[in-house]
Amino acid sequence: MGDSGFQTDPGEPSNMNGAKRILKLCPLLVPYAALFCGGVFLTVSQSFGLLTPIPYGGGHLEAYAGLLSSPSFYASFLFSLQVGAVSALCAVIAGTLLAYWVWRLPARLQTAALIYKIPLILPHIAVAFVVLLLWSRSGILASMAHSMGWIETMREFPNVLYSGWGLGMIMAYCLKGIPFAMLLVMALLVRFDARQIETAEMLGASRTRIFFRIVLPRVAPAVHTAFIILFLYSFGAFDIPFVLSESRPGMLSIHVYNMYFKRDLADRPEAMAILVIMFCFAVLFIVAYSMAVRRLESAERKI
Amino acid sequence: MRAPLLLLLMFLVFVVPVVLLALSSLAPGWRFPNVWPEAFSLRALVYLLQHRGQILISLGSSFLFSLLTVLTTLGMCLLPASVFAGREFPGKTLLEGLLLAPALVPPMTFAMGLHFLLIKCSLADTLIGVVLVLAMFSYPYMFRALVAGFQTMGVDYRACAQNLGAEPVRILLTVELPLLLPAIIAGGSVVFLVAFSEYFLVFLIGGGAVPSFTGRLIPLLSSSDRSLASILTLIFLFLPIALFVILDTTLVRVYRKKGMM
Repeated sequence: MGDSGFQTDPGEPSNMNGAKRILKLCPLLVPYAALFCGGVFLTVSQSFGLLTPIPYGGGHLEAYAGLLSSPSFYASFLFSLQVGAVSALCAVIAGTLLAYWVWRLPARLQTAALIYKIPLILPHIAVAFVVLLLWSRSGILASMAHSMGWIETMREFPNVLYSGWGLGMIMAYCLKGIPFAMLLVMALLVRFDARQIETAEMLGASRTRIFFRIVLPRVAPAVHTAFIILFLYSFGAFDIPFVLSESRPGMLSIHVYNMYFKRDLADRPEAMAILVIMFCFAVLFIVAYSMAVRRLESAERKI
Repeated sequence: MRAPLLLLLMFLVFVVPVVLLALSSLAPGWRFPNVWPEAFSLRALVYLLQHRGQILISLGSSFLFSLLTVLTTLGMCLLPASVFAGREFPGKTLLEGLLLAPALVPPMTFAMGLHFLLIKCSLADTLIGVVLVLAMFSYPYMFRALVAGFQTMGVDYRACAQNLGAEPVRILLTVELPLLLPAIIAGGSVVFLVAFSEYFLVFLIGGGAVPSFTGRLIPLLSSSDRSLASILTLIFLFLPIALFVILDTTLVRVYRKKGMM
Protein backbone atom coordinates (compact mmCIF):
# COMPACT_ATOMS: atom_id res chain seq x y z
CA MET A 1 0.00 0.00 0.00
CA GLY A 2 2.51 2.56 1.19
CA ASP A 3 1.95 6.24 0.82
CA SER A 4 -0.50 6.17 -1.99
CA GLY A 5 -1.46 9.68 -0.97
CA PHE A 6 -4.86 11.15 -1.25
CA GLN A 7 -4.47 13.16 -4.40
CA THR A 8 -6.27 10.68 -6.61
CA ASP A 9 -8.77 9.84 -3.89
CA PRO A 10 -10.91 7.33 -5.78
CA GLY A 11 -12.81 6.33 -2.63
CA GLU A 12 -14.44 9.66 -2.11
CA PRO A 13 -16.49 11.09 -4.90
CA SER A 14 -14.41 13.92 -6.29
CA ASN A 15 -17.20 16.38 -5.58
CA MET A 16 -17.42 15.54 -1.88
CA ASN A 17 -19.29 18.64 -0.95
CA GLY A 18 -18.89 20.85 2.09
CA ALA A 19 -22.14 19.70 3.67
CA LYS A 20 -21.10 16.06 3.76
CA ARG A 21 -17.70 17.00 5.12
CA ILE A 22 -19.24 19.06 7.90
CA LEU A 23 -21.61 16.22 8.70
CA LYS A 24 -18.67 13.87 9.07
CA LEU A 25 -16.87 16.38 11.30
CA CYS A 26 -19.92 16.74 13.55
CA PRO A 27 -19.10 13.98 16.06
CA LEU A 28 -16.07 16.03 17.03
CA LEU A 29 -17.25 19.58 16.37
CA VAL A 30 -20.42 19.33 18.45
CA PRO A 31 -18.76 18.17 21.69
CA TYR A 32 -15.89 20.57 21.00
CA ALA A 33 -18.26 23.51 20.77
CA ALA A 34 -20.42 22.40 23.69
CA LEU A 35 -17.81 21.22 26.16
CA PHE A 36 -14.52 22.93 25.30
CA CYS A 37 -15.78 26.23 23.94
CA GLY A 38 -18.67 26.16 26.41
CA GLY A 39 -16.26 25.54 29.28
CA VAL A 40 -13.92 28.32 28.22
CA PHE A 41 -16.89 30.65 27.67
CA LEU A 42 -18.16 30.04 31.20
CA THR A 43 -14.70 30.50 32.67
CA VAL A 44 -14.41 33.84 30.88
CA SER A 45 -17.90 35.03 31.76
CA GLN A 46 -17.51 34.06 35.41
CA SER A 47 -14.25 35.96 35.51
CA PHE A 48 -16.28 39.06 34.57
CA GLY A 49 -18.74 38.28 37.35
CA LEU A 50 -21.43 37.06 34.98
CA LEU A 51 -23.29 33.74 35.26
CA THR A 52 -21.69 33.10 38.64
CA PRO A 53 -23.36 30.67 41.09
CA ILE A 54 -24.32 33.62 43.28
CA PRO A 55 -24.81 37.19 42.02
CA TYR A 56 -21.53 39.04 42.03
CA GLY A 57 -21.51 42.48 43.55
CA GLY A 58 -18.34 43.90 42.05
CA GLY A 59 -17.73 45.47 38.66
CA HIS A 60 -17.00 43.43 35.58
CA LEU A 61 -13.27 44.01 35.66
CA GLU A 62 -12.83 44.01 39.41
CA ALA A 63 -11.33 40.51 39.55
CA TYR A 64 -8.71 41.43 36.96
CA ALA A 65 -7.94 44.74 38.63
CA GLY A 66 -7.47 42.92 41.93
CA LEU A 67 -5.12 40.38 40.36
CA LEU A 68 -3.05 42.81 38.37
CA SER A 69 -2.44 44.97 41.42
CA SER A 70 -1.39 42.09 43.67
CA PRO A 71 2.33 41.33 43.82
CA SER A 72 1.65 37.74 44.90
CA PHE A 73 -0.10 37.05 41.59
CA TYR A 74 2.95 38.19 39.63
CA ALA A 75 5.19 36.10 41.90
CA SER A 76 3.07 33.00 41.30
CA PHE A 77 2.91 33.64 37.58
CA LEU A 78 6.67 33.98 37.32
CA PHE A 79 7.17 30.94 39.52
CA SER A 80 4.87 28.79 37.35
CA LEU A 81 6.63 30.10 34.27
CA GLN A 82 10.01 29.25 35.72
CA VAL A 83 9.05 25.73 36.83
CA GLY A 84 7.47 25.09 33.42
CA ALA A 85 10.36 26.47 31.40
CA VAL A 86 13.17 24.84 33.38
CA SER A 87 11.51 21.42 33.53
CA ALA A 88 10.50 21.44 29.87
CA LEU A 89 13.94 22.59 28.74
CA CYS A 90 15.75 19.94 30.80
CA ALA A 91 13.33 17.21 29.75
CA VAL A 92 13.57 18.08 26.07
CA ILE A 93 17.37 18.31 26.04
CA ALA A 94 17.86 15.09 28.02
CA GLY A 95 15.10 13.31 26.11
CA THR A 96 16.53 14.23 22.70
CA LEU A 97 20.06 13.15 23.64
CA LEU A 98 18.88 9.90 25.19
CA ALA A 99 16.69 9.13 22.20
CA TYR A 100 19.63 9.69 19.86
CA TRP A 101 21.96 7.53 21.94
CA VAL A 102 19.38 4.75 22.24
CA TRP A 103 18.77 4.88 18.50
CA ARG A 104 22.50 4.35 17.91
CA LEU A 105 22.58 1.31 20.19
CA PRO A 106 22.95 -2.10 18.56
CA ALA A 107 19.56 -3.68 17.86
CA ARG A 108 19.78 -6.29 20.62
CA LEU A 109 20.31 -3.61 23.27
CA GLN A 110 17.43 -1.46 22.05
CA THR A 111 14.93 -3.83 23.66
CA ALA A 112 16.58 -3.22 27.03
CA ALA A 113 16.27 0.50 26.44
CA LEU A 114 12.48 0.14 26.49
CA ILE A 115 12.71 0.66 30.26
CA TYR A 116 12.43 4.35 29.47
CA LYS A 117 8.67 3.87 29.13
CA ILE A 118 8.19 3.13 32.83
CA PRO A 119 7.59 6.73 33.97
CA LEU A 120 5.19 7.22 31.06
CA ILE A 121 2.88 4.68 32.66
CA LEU A 122 3.15 6.04 36.19
CA PRO A 123 0.63 8.78 36.99
CA HIS A 124 1.93 12.23 37.82
CA ILE A 125 1.09 11.89 41.48
CA ALA A 126 3.04 8.61 41.64
CA VAL A 127 6.10 10.25 40.08
CA ALA A 128 5.77 13.06 42.61
CA PHE A 129 5.70 10.42 45.32
CA VAL A 130 8.93 8.88 43.99
CA VAL A 131 10.59 12.31 44.23
CA LEU A 132 9.29 12.64 47.78
CA LEU A 133 10.64 9.20 48.67
CA LEU A 134 14.08 10.09 47.34
CA TRP A 135 14.61 13.73 48.19
CA SER A 136 12.70 14.52 51.36
CA ARG A 137 14.82 15.16 54.43
CA SER A 138 13.84 11.78 55.82
CA GLY A 139 14.18 10.19 52.42
CA ILE A 140 16.50 7.67 50.88
CA LEU A 141 19.12 10.12 49.62
CA ALA A 142 19.34 11.75 53.04
CA SER A 143 19.91 8.30 54.55
CA MET A 144 22.62 7.62 52.02
CA ALA A 145 24.31 10.92 52.76
CA HIS A 146 24.15 10.03 56.43
CA SER A 147 25.73 6.62 55.93
CA MET A 148 28.48 8.23 53.86
CA GLY A 149 29.17 10.49 56.81
CA TRP A 150 28.32 13.64 54.90
CA ILE A 151 25.58 14.68 57.30
CA GLU A 152 24.90 13.99 60.97
CA THR A 153 21.22 14.75 61.24
CA MET A 154 18.26 15.08 58.90
CA ARG A 155 18.36 18.87 59.16
CA GLU A 156 21.76 19.04 57.52
CA PHE A 157 20.44 17.50 54.33
CA PRO A 158 19.77 20.28 51.79
CA ASN A 159 16.14 21.26 51.81
CA VAL A 160 15.63 20.38 48.17
CA LEU A 161 11.86 20.08 48.19
CA TYR A 162 11.19 23.38 49.93
CA SER A 163 14.01 25.48 48.59
CA GLY A 164 11.66 28.04 47.08
CA TRP A 165 12.87 27.13 43.61
CA GLY A 166 10.39 24.40 42.91
CA LEU A 167 13.19 21.86 42.50
CA GLY A 168 11.02 18.94 43.60
CA MET A 169 8.36 19.77 41.02
CA ILE A 170 11.00 20.32 38.35
CA MET A 171 12.50 16.89 39.04
CA ALA A 172 9.09 15.21 38.96
CA TYR A 173 8.18 16.94 35.69
CA CYS A 174 11.54 15.95 34.21
CA LEU A 175 11.10 12.31 35.19
CA LYS A 176 7.74 12.36 33.44
CA GLY A 177 8.86 14.58 30.56
CA ILE A 178 12.12 12.91 29.50
CA PRO A 179 10.45 9.66 28.36
CA PHE A 180 7.75 11.69 26.64
CA ALA A 181 10.30 13.70 24.64
CA MET A 182 12.19 10.46 23.90
CA LEU A 183 9.03 8.86 22.56
CA LEU A 184 8.33 11.73 20.17
CA VAL A 185 11.94 12.02 18.98
CA MET A 186 12.36 8.26 18.50
CA ALA A 187 9.25 8.17 16.33
CA LEU A 188 11.08 10.45 13.88
CA LEU A 189 14.46 8.73 14.22
CA VAL A 190 12.98 5.36 13.20
CA ARG A 191 12.54 6.68 9.68
CA PHE A 192 15.97 8.29 9.58
CA ASP A 193 18.60 6.70 7.35
CA ALA A 194 21.68 5.89 9.46
CA ARG A 195 23.86 5.93 6.33
CA GLN A 196 23.69 9.72 6.36
CA ILE A 197 25.59 9.66 9.63
CA GLU A 198 28.08 7.10 8.35
CA THR A 199 28.73 9.28 5.32
CA ALA A 200 29.29 12.33 7.51
CA GLU A 201 31.67 10.30 9.68
CA MET A 202 33.64 9.17 6.64
CA LEU A 203 33.88 12.77 5.50
CA GLY A 204 35.42 13.59 8.86
CA ALA A 205 32.60 15.35 10.69
CA SER A 206 32.95 15.40 14.47
CA ARG A 207 30.29 13.82 16.69
CA THR A 208 29.01 17.17 17.90
CA ARG A 209 28.82 18.45 14.36
CA ILE A 210 26.91 15.36 13.24
CA PHE A 211 24.42 15.77 16.05
CA PHE A 212 23.81 19.46 15.50
CA ARG A 213 23.94 19.59 11.71
CA ILE A 214 22.40 16.28 10.67
CA VAL A 215 20.35 14.74 13.46
CA LEU A 216 18.90 17.78 15.19
CA PRO A 217 17.34 19.37 12.09
CA ARG A 218 15.69 16.03 11.35
CA VAL A 219 14.11 15.66 14.78
CA ALA A 220 13.40 19.38 15.29
CA PRO A 221 9.62 19.09 14.73
CA ALA A 222 9.34 16.51 17.53
CA VAL A 223 11.56 18.62 19.79
CA HIS A 224 9.35 21.68 19.29
CA THR A 225 6.15 19.72 19.85
CA ALA A 226 7.55 18.14 23.00
CA PHE A 227 8.65 21.52 24.34
CA ILE A 228 5.28 23.18 23.77
CA ILE A 229 3.35 20.32 25.35
CA LEU A 230 5.65 19.86 28.34
CA PHE A 231 6.07 23.57 29.03
CA LEU A 232 2.36 24.35 28.98
CA TYR A 233 1.55 21.23 30.95
CA SER A 234 3.92 21.93 33.79
CA PHE A 235 2.96 25.61 33.68
CA GLY A 236 -0.67 24.90 34.39
CA ALA A 237 -1.15 21.40 35.75
CA PHE A 238 -2.34 20.58 39.21
CA ASP A 239 -1.40 17.03 40.19
CA ILE A 240 2.34 17.33 40.83
CA PRO A 241 2.18 20.71 42.64
CA PHE A 242 -0.60 19.30 44.81
CA VAL A 243 1.81 16.67 46.15
CA LEU A 244 5.06 18.65 46.07
CA SER A 245 3.95 22.25 46.35
CA GLU A 246 5.75 24.91 48.26
CA SER A 247 3.53 27.48 49.84
CA ARG A 248 5.13 30.69 48.70
CA PRO A 249 5.24 31.54 45.90
CA GLY A 250 2.81 28.78 44.93
CA MET A 251 1.95 27.51 41.48
CA LEU A 252 -1.00 29.27 39.82
CA SER A 253 -3.03 26.06 39.66
CA ILE A 254 -2.80 25.68 43.43
CA HIS A 255 -3.97 29.28 43.91
CA VAL A 256 -6.96 28.64 41.69
CA TYR A 257 -7.73 25.44 43.58
CA ASN A 258 -7.62 27.19 46.94
CA MET A 259 -9.85 30.00 45.74
CA TYR A 260 -12.29 27.63 44.08
CA PHE A 261 -12.67 25.11 46.87
CA LYS A 262 -11.50 26.65 50.10
CA ARG A 263 -12.80 30.19 49.96
CA ASP A 264 -16.36 31.27 49.49
CA LEU A 265 -18.18 31.72 46.23
CA ALA A 266 -17.57 35.46 46.18
CA ASP A 267 -13.97 34.75 45.20
CA ARG A 268 -15.06 32.74 42.17
CA PRO A 269 -14.47 35.56 39.62
CA GLU A 270 -10.90 35.98 40.80
CA ALA A 271 -10.16 32.23 40.45
CA MET A 272 -11.66 32.33 36.97
CA ALA A 273 -9.68 35.45 36.05
CA ILE A 274 -6.44 33.60 36.84
CA LEU A 275 -7.60 30.78 34.58
CA VAL A 276 -8.43 33.20 31.78
CA ILE A 277 -4.98 34.75 32.02
CA MET A 278 -3.42 31.27 31.95
CA PHE A 279 -5.51 30.35 28.92
CA CYS A 280 -4.57 33.51 27.02
CA PHE A 281 -0.92 32.99 27.89
CA ALA A 282 -1.04 29.40 26.60
CA VAL A 283 -2.65 30.43 23.32
CA LEU A 284 -0.25 33.35 22.83
CA PHE A 285 2.70 31.11 23.59
CA ILE A 286 1.64 28.45 21.06
CA VAL A 287 1.11 31.06 18.34
CA ALA A 288 4.34 32.95 19.07
CA TYR A 289 6.41 29.77 19.32
CA SER A 290 5.13 28.30 16.07
CA MET A 291 5.66 31.61 14.28
CA ALA A 292 9.21 31.87 15.61
CA VAL A 293 9.98 28.31 14.50
CA ARG A 294 8.55 28.95 11.04
CA ARG A 295 10.58 32.12 10.64
CA LEU A 296 13.73 30.38 11.82
CA GLU A 297 13.21 27.53 9.39
CA SER A 298 12.59 29.78 6.41
CA ALA A 299 15.69 31.81 7.31
CA GLU A 300 17.74 28.60 7.38
CA ARG A 301 16.38 27.53 4.05
CA LYS A 302 17.51 30.82 2.48
CA ILE A 303 21.06 30.18 3.64
CA MET B 1 27.96 7.40 24.32
CA ARG B 2 29.16 3.97 25.37
CA ALA B 3 26.35 1.44 25.45
CA PRO B 4 26.89 0.07 29.00
CA LEU B 5 27.16 3.57 30.42
CA LEU B 6 23.98 4.67 28.67
CA LEU B 7 22.03 1.64 29.85
CA LEU B 8 23.31 2.12 33.38
CA LEU B 9 22.19 5.74 33.35
CA MET B 10 18.76 4.80 32.06
CA PHE B 11 18.52 2.01 34.62
CA LEU B 12 19.32 4.48 37.41
CA VAL B 13 16.77 7.03 36.27
CA PHE B 14 13.91 4.81 35.14
CA VAL B 15 14.17 1.48 36.97
CA VAL B 16 15.74 2.26 40.35
CA PRO B 17 12.67 4.28 41.46
CA VAL B 18 10.52 1.20 40.86
CA VAL B 19 12.93 -1.00 42.83
CA LEU B 20 12.81 1.53 45.67
CA LEU B 21 9.01 1.50 45.56
CA ALA B 22 9.04 -2.30 45.81
CA LEU B 23 11.45 -2.17 48.75
CA SER B 24 9.49 0.55 50.46
CA SER B 25 6.23 -1.36 50.08
CA LEU B 26 7.73 -4.33 51.92
CA ALA B 27 9.32 -2.26 54.68
CA PRO B 28 6.71 -0.17 56.51
CA GLY B 29 9.15 1.18 59.11
CA TRP B 30 11.91 2.13 56.68
CA ARG B 31 13.07 5.63 57.53
CA PHE B 32 16.04 7.86 58.13
CA PRO B 33 18.88 7.04 58.75
CA ASN B 34 18.63 3.47 57.43
CA VAL B 35 19.93 3.02 53.92
CA TRP B 36 18.53 -0.49 53.89
CA PRO B 37 15.27 -1.39 55.67
CA GLU B 38 15.81 -2.85 59.14
CA ALA B 39 12.92 -5.23 58.89
CA PHE B 40 10.64 -6.42 56.17
CA SER B 41 6.98 -7.11 56.74
CA LEU B 42 3.92 -7.81 54.70
CA ARG B 43 1.86 -5.24 56.57
CA ALA B 44 1.07 -3.26 53.42
CA LEU B 45 -0.03 -6.40 51.62
CA VAL B 46 -2.24 -7.35 54.56
CA TYR B 47 -3.75 -3.86 54.49
CA LEU B 48 -4.34 -4.28 50.78
CA LEU B 49 -6.17 -7.56 51.36
CA GLN B 50 -8.18 -6.19 54.26
CA HIS B 51 -9.34 -3.20 52.26
CA ARG B 52 -9.62 -5.10 49.01
CA GLY B 53 -13.30 -4.19 48.67
CA GLN B 54 -12.69 -0.43 48.56
CA ILE B 55 -9.51 -0.78 46.56
CA LEU B 56 -11.15 -2.98 43.96
CA ILE B 57 -14.07 -0.58 43.71
CA SER B 58 -11.79 2.38 43.08
CA LEU B 59 -9.67 0.35 40.68
CA GLY B 60 -12.75 -0.91 38.86
CA SER B 61 -14.22 2.58 38.66
CA SER B 62 -10.96 4.03 37.30
CA PHE B 63 -10.81 1.19 34.81
CA LEU B 64 -14.40 1.72 33.74
CA PHE B 65 -14.21 5.47 33.16
CA SER B 66 -10.86 5.12 31.38
CA LEU B 67 -12.26 2.48 29.04
CA LEU B 68 -15.40 4.53 28.41
CA THR B 69 -13.17 7.53 27.68
CA VAL B 70 -11.29 5.51 25.07
CA LEU B 71 -14.55 4.42 23.41
CA THR B 72 -15.94 7.97 23.53
CA THR B 73 -12.83 9.47 21.94
CA LEU B 74 -12.93 6.76 19.28
CA GLY B 75 -16.54 7.58 18.48
CA MET B 76 -15.76 11.29 18.40
CA CYS B 77 -12.69 11.02 16.20
CA LEU B 78 -13.28 8.22 13.70
CA LEU B 79 -15.21 10.07 10.99
CA PRO B 80 -13.50 13.46 11.49
CA ALA B 81 -10.09 11.77 11.24
CA SER B 82 -11.07 10.27 7.87
CA VAL B 83 -11.94 13.77 6.66
CA PHE B 84 -8.64 15.18 7.91
CA ALA B 85 -6.65 12.35 6.32
CA GLY B 86 -8.29 13.14 3.01
CA ARG B 87 -7.86 15.98 0.60
CA GLU B 88 -7.27 19.59 1.54
CA PHE B 89 -10.18 21.87 2.24
CA PRO B 90 -10.29 25.53 3.13
CA GLY B 91 -9.44 26.21 6.75
CA LYS B 92 -8.03 22.74 7.35
CA THR B 93 -4.82 23.84 9.08
CA LEU B 94 -6.62 26.33 11.30
CA LEU B 95 -9.29 23.80 12.24
CA GLU B 96 -6.68 21.18 13.04
CA GLY B 97 -4.84 23.63 15.28
CA LEU B 98 -8.06 24.53 17.08
CA LEU B 99 -8.97 20.87 17.53
CA LEU B 100 -5.61 20.07 19.11
CA ALA B 101 -5.92 22.92 21.63
CA PRO B 102 -7.66 20.96 24.44
CA ALA B 103 -4.51 18.86 24.91
CA LEU B 104 -2.27 21.93 25.04
CA VAL B 105 -3.98 24.57 27.15
CA PRO B 106 -4.04 23.88 30.91
CA PRO B 107 -7.06 21.58 31.40
CA MET B 108 -8.18 23.54 34.45
CA THR B 109 -9.01 26.52 32.26
CA PHE B 110 -11.93 24.85 30.53
CA ALA B 111 -12.71 22.20 33.14
CA MET B 112 -13.73 24.67 35.83
CA GLY B 113 -16.13 26.48 33.52
CA LEU B 114 -17.34 23.12 32.32
CA HIS B 115 -17.95 22.08 35.92
CA PHE B 116 -20.58 24.80 36.24
CA LEU B 117 -22.19 23.68 32.98
CA LEU B 118 -22.25 20.06 34.12
CA ILE B 119 -23.82 21.05 37.43
CA LYS B 120 -26.59 22.79 35.49
CA CYS B 121 -27.13 19.66 33.38
CA SER B 122 -26.92 17.55 36.58
CA LEU B 123 -24.00 15.64 35.10
CA ALA B 124 -21.56 16.71 37.79
CA ASP B 125 -20.69 13.94 40.26
CA THR B 126 -21.61 11.31 37.69
CA LEU B 127 -19.63 8.83 35.68
CA ILE B 128 -20.86 10.39 32.42
CA GLY B 129 -19.60 13.81 33.47
CA VAL B 130 -16.18 12.40 34.31
CA VAL B 131 -15.97 10.55 31.00
CA LEU B 132 -17.01 13.68 29.08
CA VAL B 133 -14.37 15.90 30.65
CA LEU B 134 -11.64 13.26 30.31
CA ALA B 135 -12.59 12.68 26.68
CA MET B 136 -12.49 16.40 25.99
CA PHE B 137 -8.99 16.60 27.43
CA SER B 138 -7.55 13.48 25.80
CA TYR B 139 -9.22 13.09 22.40
CA PRO B 140 -6.42 14.89 20.48
CA TYR B 141 -4.17 11.85 21.03
CA MET B 142 -6.78 9.54 19.52
CA PHE B 143 -7.40 12.03 16.72
CA ARG B 144 -3.73 12.28 15.74
CA ALA B 145 -3.30 8.50 15.82
CA LEU B 146 -6.39 7.94 13.67
CA VAL B 147 -5.41 10.56 11.09
CA ALA B 148 -2.03 8.85 10.76
CA GLY B 149 -3.79 5.47 10.60
CA PHE B 150 -6.10 6.58 7.78
CA GLN B 151 -3.12 8.01 5.91
CA THR B 152 -1.07 4.80 6.06
CA MET B 153 -4.10 2.73 5.14
CA GLY B 154 -4.73 4.81 2.03
CA VAL B 155 -7.95 4.77 0.07
CA ASP B 156 -7.44 1.72 -2.13
CA TYR B 157 -9.12 -0.76 0.24
CA ARG B 158 -12.15 1.49 0.49
CA ALA B 159 -12.27 1.93 -3.29
CA CYS B 160 -12.01 -1.82 -3.78
CA ALA B 161 -14.83 -2.56 -1.36
CA GLN B 162 -16.90 0.18 -2.95
CA ASN B 163 -16.41 -1.25 -6.42
CA LEU B 164 -17.54 -4.62 -5.10
CA GLY B 165 -20.73 -2.94 -3.96
CA ALA B 166 -20.27 -2.64 -0.19
CA GLU B 167 -22.31 -0.10 1.76
CA PRO B 168 -20.40 2.72 3.52
CA VAL B 169 -21.27 1.37 6.98
CA ARG B 170 -20.15 -2.11 6.00
CA ILE B 171 -16.90 -0.74 4.58
CA LEU B 172 -16.24 1.08 7.81
CA LEU B 173 -16.98 -1.91 10.03
CA THR B 174 -15.52 -4.82 8.08
CA VAL B 175 -12.73 -3.23 6.04
CA GLU B 176 -11.48 -0.04 7.64
CA LEU B 177 -11.86 -0.69 11.37
CA PRO B 178 -9.80 -3.93 11.34
CA LEU B 179 -7.09 -2.21 9.33
CA LEU B 180 -7.15 0.77 11.67
CA LEU B 181 -6.81 -1.41 14.76
CA PRO B 182 -3.10 -0.69 15.31
CA ALA B 183 -3.76 3.07 15.16
CA ILE B 184 -6.78 2.72 17.45
CA ILE B 185 -4.70 0.77 19.95
CA ALA B 186 -1.84 3.29 19.80
CA GLY B 187 -4.18 6.24 20.37
CA GLY B 188 -6.35 4.29 22.78
CA SER B 189 -3.45 3.35 25.06
CA VAL B 190 -2.42 6.98 25.42
CA VAL B 191 -6.00 8.03 26.11
CA PHE B 192 -6.41 5.19 28.59
CA LEU B 193 -3.23 6.13 30.45
CA VAL B 194 -4.14 9.81 30.54
CA ALA B 195 -7.59 9.03 31.92
CA PHE B 196 -6.39 6.34 34.32
CA SER B 197 -3.70 8.51 35.86
CA GLU B 198 -5.58 11.81 36.05
CA TYR B 199 -6.36 13.01 39.54
CA PHE B 200 -7.65 16.56 39.39
CA LEU B 201 -10.30 16.37 36.66
CA VAL B 202 -11.85 13.26 38.21
CA PHE B 203 -11.83 14.91 41.61
CA LEU B 204 -13.36 18.13 40.24
CA ILE B 205 -16.12 16.63 38.12
CA GLY B 206 -16.61 13.37 40.01
CA GLY B 207 -16.70 15.25 43.31
CA GLY B 208 -15.95 12.13 45.34
CA ALA B 209 -19.08 10.39 44.05
CA VAL B 210 -17.05 8.69 41.33
CA PRO B 211 -14.31 6.69 43.06
CA SER B 212 -10.91 6.64 41.42
CA PHE B 213 -7.63 4.94 42.12
CA THR B 214 -5.72 8.23 42.09
CA GLY B 215 -8.21 9.63 44.60
CA ARG B 216 -7.52 6.59 46.77
CA LEU B 217 -3.75 7.13 46.49
CA ILE B 218 -3.62 10.88 47.24
CA PRO B 219 -4.34 10.78 51.01
CA LEU B 220 -1.80 7.96 51.44
CA LEU B 221 1.02 9.94 49.81
CA SER B 222 1.41 12.24 52.79
CA SER B 223 1.07 9.50 55.43
CA SER B 224 4.17 8.72 57.43
CA ASP B 225 3.90 5.06 56.55
CA ARG B 226 5.07 5.06 52.98
CA SER B 227 4.57 1.36 52.33
CA LEU B 228 0.88 1.71 51.47
CA ALA B 229 1.42 4.45 48.93
CA SER B 230 4.31 2.47 47.46
CA ILE B 231 2.30 -0.67 46.94
CA LEU B 232 -0.63 1.19 45.35
CA THR B 233 1.82 2.98 43.06
CA LEU B 234 3.20 -0.38 41.97
CA ILE B 235 -0.31 -1.53 41.09
CA PHE B 236 -0.54 1.60 38.97
CA LEU B 237 2.51 0.49 37.08
CA PHE B 238 1.80 -3.18 36.60
CA LEU B 239 -1.89 -3.10 35.83
CA PRO B 240 -1.51 -1.11 32.57
CA ILE B 241 1.58 -3.14 31.61
CA ALA B 242 -0.39 -6.37 32.09
CA LEU B 243 -3.22 -4.88 30.09
CA PHE B 244 -0.96 -3.89 27.20
CA VAL B 245 0.74 -7.29 27.12
CA ILE B 246 -2.62 -9.09 27.00
CA LEU B 247 -3.87 -6.72 24.30
CA ASP B 248 -0.74 -7.16 22.26
CA THR B 249 -0.71 -10.97 22.37
CA THR B 250 -4.43 -11.27 21.56
CA LEU B 251 -4.01 -8.84 18.69
CA VAL B 252 -1.13 -10.82 17.25
CA ARG B 253 -3.13 -14.03 17.62
CA VAL B 254 -6.18 -12.55 15.91
CA TYR B 255 -4.06 -11.22 13.06
CA ARG B 256 -2.35 -14.58 12.58
CA LYS B 257 -5.72 -16.33 12.52
CA LYS B 258 -6.97 -14.00 9.84
CA GLY B 259 -3.74 -14.36 7.92
CA MET B 260 -3.00 -10.66 8.12
CA MET B 261 0.50 -11.16 9.45
